[in-house]
Amino acid sequence: MRKVLVAIGILLLGISVFGAEKRFEGVTITVFTQPPPFIAKPVQMFAPDWERMTGGKVRLITAPWAELYPKMYSSFALGARLYDIVIFPAAWLPDFAGAGFLAPLDDFIAKDPRIAWDDILPVYRERIVTWGGTVFAVPVDGDCHIFYYRKDALENSEYQAKFKEKYGYDLPVPPRTWEEVRDIAEFFNGWDWDNDGRPEYGVVEARRKDDQAYWTFFSRAAGYVSIPGQPGGLFFDPETMEPLINSPGHVKALEDYIEIMKFGVPGMINMDSGEIRTVFAAGEAAMAIDWGDIGVLSEVGEESVVKGKVGYAILPGATTVWDYKKGEWVEFAEPNQAPYLAFGGWVAGIDAKSPNIEAAYDFISFLASPENSYRSVTTPETGFNPYRYSHFEKLSGWIAFGFSPEAAAAYLKAIQDTIAHPNVQPDLRVPGGARYFEALDAELALAAAGQKSPQEALDAVAGAWERITEELGRENQLKAYRLSLGLPVE
Amino acid sequence: MSVRRRKGGRVVQWQGRLFLTPTVVILLLLTIFPFLFTLAMAFGKVSFEGGTLRITITGVRNWTRLVHDSRFWNSLVVTLKIVSLSVFCEYVLGLLLAMLLNRRIRGQTFFRVTFLLPMMLAPIAVGYIWRMMLNDTRGPFNDFLRHLGFRAVGWLSDPNVAMYSIVLTDIWQWTPFMILILLAGLQGIPKDYIEAAKVDGASGWKIFFYVTFPLLAPASIAAVFLRSVEAFKIIDIIYIMTGGGPGLVTESLTLYGYSVGLRAFDLAYGATISFSLFFVVLASSVLFFLLTRKARQISLE
Repeated sequence: MRKVLVAIGILLLGISVFGAEKRFEGVTITVFTQPPPFIAKPVQMFAPDWERMTGGKVRLITAPWAELYPKMYSSFALGARLYDIVIFPAAWLPDFAGAGFLAPLDDFIAKDPRIAWDDILPVYRERIVTWGGTVFAVPVDGDCHIFYYRKDALENSEYQAKFKEKYGYDLPVPPRTWEEVRDIAEFFNGWDWDNDGRPEYGVVEARRKDDQAYWTFFSRAAGYVSIPGQPGGLFFDPETMEPLINSPGHVKALEDYIEIMKFGVPGMINMDSGEIRTVFAAGEAAMAIDWGDIGVLSEVGEESVVKGKVGYAILPGATTVWDYKKGEWVEFAEPNQAPYLAFGGWVAGIDAKSPNIEAAYDFISFLASPENSYRSVTTPETGFNPYRYSHFEKLSGWIAFGFSPEAAAAYLKAIQDTIAHPNVQPDLRVPGGARYFEALDAELALAAAGQKSPQEALDAVAGAWERITEELGRENQLKAYRLSLGLPVE
Repeated sequence: MSVRRRKGGRVVQWQGRLFLTPTVVILLLLTIFPFLFTLAMAFGKVSFEGGTLRITITGVRNWTRLVHDSRFWNSLVVTLKIVSLSVFCEYVLGLLLAMLLNRRIRGQTFFRVTFLLPMMLAPIAVGYIWRMMLNDTRGPFNDFLRHLGFRAVGWLSDPNVAMYSIVLTDIWQWTPFMILILLAGLQGIPKDYIEAAKVDGASGWKIFFYVTFPLLAPASIAAVFLRSVEAFKIIDIIYIMTGGGPGLVTESLTLYGYSVGLRAFDLAYGATISFSLFFVVLASSVLFFLLTRKARQISLE
C-alpha cells in the first residue's frame, strides 16, 4: 500500500512538474554575483528547480568582490545588458536605482503572492530596497551587526563577584553601554578564565584596513550619535549635507574603538571579519561584534569550542549622547541603543534594459520565496542571514542546521530585536557611498595605529567627505541622503 | 615568398609584411590603446552619462590633487622602501645560493628544485601562508619565540615591524628568481678565466671580486632590473597580509591605486595613481641603467 502511495505521489509530482506550462521556454537569464559558495550558492541550489518548472535557463556569472561594482556599473551604464539579474550589496542601490539602471518591481510584487512581501521585515522591504518610494530590488539576505558574549564567562558567579569588587557595580549581562563593554573587556583580558590552559582576551573586533573596520566603527558610533526620532546624525546633516563624522559623539566612539584594542586579542588591528569569527569560535575572546556569522560558526562550526556557550544581544549604546541639532551632549536615563544595519545585506535587482525582466523577476521571486529563502538562511555557506518574519518563527531549520533550540532562539531573537528596533540605523545609502567609506577607512587605520589622534583623523575624514560631496554635486547628494532617510525632498 | 627589389636596392617583403600586419595591429591595440585610455583618464573625469563611457579632459586637476595627497607620498615611500630592501636582500641571498648550487655538492638537483618552489606559488597563496605563520597568537613564529622565553612579536600588527614582514615574505618568494638567473650567469662564465686566476695565485675572494662578479654583471643587471620592475607592482601579498595597515605603513602605490580605483570607483584618480607608478618605474629604470653603465665603465677602466 505504501509503495502504491509513493508511486501515486511521484506520478502526481511528475504531472505537476512536466505538465505545467513552461512559461519561459527558450529564455536564458543571466545572474551575476560573487563566486560561490557565499551568495552564489542559493542560485545554484534553486536554479535547477526553477528551470524544471518554467523551461527557462539560469546562467550564473561570477566575479571577485572587487570586480562586482565596476562590472555591474559598466554593464548598466553602457547598456551592455550583460546580466539580467544582479545580486549586490544594498549600499549600492542608490548608485544603480538613482541612475535608472534598475527595473522598478512594485507592479510585479503587487501581483505575486509567492513573494509574500509582508513577511519581509519592514526595514528591508520599505527602506533597504526602495529608492524614492519605489522598490528596485528584492532582499535575499538580512545583514546587521549584533553583539556576542561568552555566557560561561559573564554569567560565572565567581567572576561576577570579582568584577563587582573591582568596578563597584554588578557585571551586566549583556552589557548595554560601551563603557560597560570596556570594563568587562578589561576584566576578562589576559588570563585563563575558561581553564583551557591558555590566556583569553576581552574582545575581538575587525580592525583591518581595506576590509570592514568602518562598519564596526559605526556600530560603536550609532549609540553615541543617533537619537530616536531624529534621522541623520550618523553620517551627514540631512539639512545641509555637512559631514557629522567629526562630531564629539563620533570622536568619543573612535576613542572607545581605539581604547578597547588594549583589551583585544593580540594582533586585532590586522584582523578582518573572517578572522575574528574563527578567533571567537576558538574560544579566545569574551565578546565580539559581527554580523550573524559568528553565531553560525560558534554553534555549528566543527572546530568551535564555544557551542552552547555564546550569548547574543543587540549592540550596546550610551547614556550620554551627542545631539547634533542642539550641538550638545544629552543625558539618557536608559542607555540609548541604536543597532546598526551594517552593510544592509545582499539584494537582487534586474537590469532595466533586460529583455527578460519577467523571467528574471520570476526567478528572484522563486529564490526569495519564504520556503526557499528559509532553506537558504539555514544552509551552511550561503552567506544569507534571516530577514523574514517566518525565518524567525520556525526553529526546525535552525536545529537541523546544528543549533540547539536554546541557541537558535537566542540568536534569532538578537537579530530580530536589532532589525525591528525603533532606533535601528540603516547603512549609508547615497551615490558614491564607497568613496566616503574608503576615505574613512584610511583615517580609521591611522587612528587605530596611533599615527593620528581620533579628532585629527575624523577632521581629515570630514574634509575628504566635503570634497567628495562637492565633486558629486551637493544638491544631488543631499536629495539622495534625505531619500535614504525617508525624509521629504523638494 | 616573392621578393621585389626597388631602385635603391631596398628589399620589400610585401607578403611578409602583409601577414605580419594583423598581429602588429592587434598587439598595438592591446598595448597602446589601454595605455592611451588610462592616460586620458588620468587627465580627465570619467562619467557614464547617456549610456556611454565619457572621459572629459580636465587638464592637470588629478595631478594637482596627487601632488597634494599625503597618502600618495606615503605609498610612494613605502613602495620604494619595499623595492629597495627586498631586491637588495634577494640579490645578495640569490647570489650566495647560486654560487653554492654552482658547486658540485651532494643532492644538487634536489636543492635546485627545492629552492625554486616558492617562486612557483601564487602570491595570494604565499600571502596566506605567511599571514598564518606570522599570526600573533597562533602563528608558529611566535610560538617558537615564546618557547625560547621571548615576547611575541606583532609581525603584522606592529607598525614598526609589519613592513619588514612583507619584505621577508617577498624575499622568501622571489629569491629563487635571482638564483635562477644568477646560476645561469655563473654557468656561462668560462672555467678558463677562473683557472687562470688560480694559476696566478689569486685568492677565492679576489677571484670573486675581480673575475666572477664582473663577468656576472649582465646577469646581475637583468635579474635586479626585472625583479625591481615586478617589485614596484607589489599588491597581492600586501593585500592578503595587512591590507596596507597597520595605519598606512604597508600601503603600496598599487594597493592605493586599487583602493581608489576599484573600491571607491574613482577611476580617473585611480588611473592617475597608476600612471604615477609608471613614471616612477620608468625613472628608476633609467637611473638604474645609467648607474650600471657608469659602474661598468669604471670597472673596465
